[in-house]
Amino acid sequence: MTSGPKYSDTRCGKEIDDSRASSVCKGCTFDGLPAIFSFNIIILLSPYYASNCIMKVIALAVSCLLALSAVSAETCFNDVSMDCGQASNSLGLPSCNAIYGHFSRQGNVANEMQAYANLHMRRSYEYLLSAAYYNNYQTNRLGFSKLFQKLSDETWDKTIELIKHITKRGGSMDFARRSVQETVTRNSTIELQELESLAHALDTQKEIAERAFYIHQEATRNNHKTHDAEIAQYLEEEFIEDHADTIRNLAGHTSDLKQFIVQNDGNDLSIALYLFDEYLQKTV
Amino acid sequence: MKIPSLVLFLAICSAAYATQCNVNPVNVPKQWITMSRGCRDSVRRQIQMEVSASIQYLAMGAHFSKDSINRPGFANLFFEASKEERQHAMKLIEYLLMRGELTNNLTSLIAVRAPERKTWSSGQEALEDALKMETEVTKAIRTVIVNCENDRSAGPGQDDNDYHLVDYLTGEFLEEQYKGQRDLAGKASTLKKMMDRHSALGEFIFDKKLLGIDI
Repeated sequence: MTSGPKYSDTRCGKEIDDSRASSVCKGCTFDGLPAIFSFNIIILLSPYYASNCIMKVIALAVSCLLALSAVSAETCFNDVSMDCGQASNSLGLPSCNAIYGHFSRQGNVANEMQAYANLHMRRSYEYLLSAAYYNNYQTNRLGFSKLFQKLSDETWDKTIELIKHITKRGGSMDFARRSVQETVTRNSTIELQELESLAHALDTQKEIAERAFYIHQEATRNNHKTHDAEIAQYLEEEFIEDHADTIRNLAGHTSDLKQFIVQNDGNDLSIALYLFDEYLQKTV
Repeated sequence: MKIPSLVLFLAICSAAYATQCNVNPVNVPKQWITMSRGCRDSVRRQIQMEVSASIQYLAMGAHFSKDSINRPGFANLFFEASKEERQHAMKLIEYLLMRGELTNNLTSLIAVRAPERKTWSSGQEALEDALKMETEVTKAIRTVIVNCENDRSAGPGQDDNDYHLVDYLTGEFLEEQYKGQRDLAGKASTLKKMMDRHSALGEFIFDKKLLGIDI
């Protein structure tokens, strides 16, 4: 700072060759911290300076101090103030983004949201295969097929909604992300019998619902680094409400099928499955 | 040791035979199922390709939705394209079902993998990348047509020339591909011209146009 180069600072209004004054202007522009010291020096020495510039320098130093409080908060406004004062062809503005709270910064809520989108995508295509299986000429259960198609369509739409929401919060989508909740990948077959397939769907929907609970729990720990009211509210409104209905419906279906299987020594089974499929065709 | 093996035994049995919870599988004549193996496998591969394309489009939609990119029009375009690719996969599945296929080996039909590419430097590059991807899909559909039109490995009672599928792919799928490619190429051209001297504004305006907003 001893040999301040000659340069023109718009906020000083004139060319400055005083090394101290220079350091004040530079300090404001580049890192703010030296400004405090320079400012104090100038206060002490100010009676000795009769230059017109000195009042402007003091005003600048005060504005530097004001800006200093903003530096620690890393605001977009501060980025703009800093970068626009420099003559360069690029603007960094690293704090001008949609990230607020702890999303994408601390905790695993952002990661879990990515994993949640991936979970929906994978389950959606599994449901699609189940829908296909129940639509082949041998199984020929169009009601079951319709049920799985609906589940597939819903989870697919949610995949896109989740991706949009992650980006709404300033995050980006990572298609390889897996949840910390995820243990070994299930290696299950799609080709299941009627009751088995409903049981499988029920388990899958519970997995999806409980994952939402987990993310919600991470997002609602008060005074914790992961607290995020917006994500919690979003999950409640767009996911958690619907999950209860879907799970209840599937559980109801398994109860019905269970009755048909057990009663009348199982003689009703083939007609019961046929009728139940017809029922699904009309109601799903 | 005995219990797991019993469970496994039951699991194997349940796949093929009746338990108290399901009815016996039945056999109906199979002579009407005439798709050749080579043709069927080509269609199966095509289904996987459409799924992969749908996921790649999702990644494009995700990229243009980011706050630092902020091109909702492009994001919308690619999310819609993603849905379309998924629907193509569903149409092909439907076709196989109509022809008596997909009674087994369902699980291996679709594998969900992360997309290859995740970032694009501009909307222009993404449109051109999408066009390239569509061109590859079109080429793959043509390969399916070739495989189904002249399958030398077709066994007795199977179609060595699957007229109907070839017609379906030619009439519906290729038509949609060509229209889609023309649309993407047109968009890429218009955008490129707008970008020529005013790249930042050009992309901004084009993006809003994609959203249906006139500015």
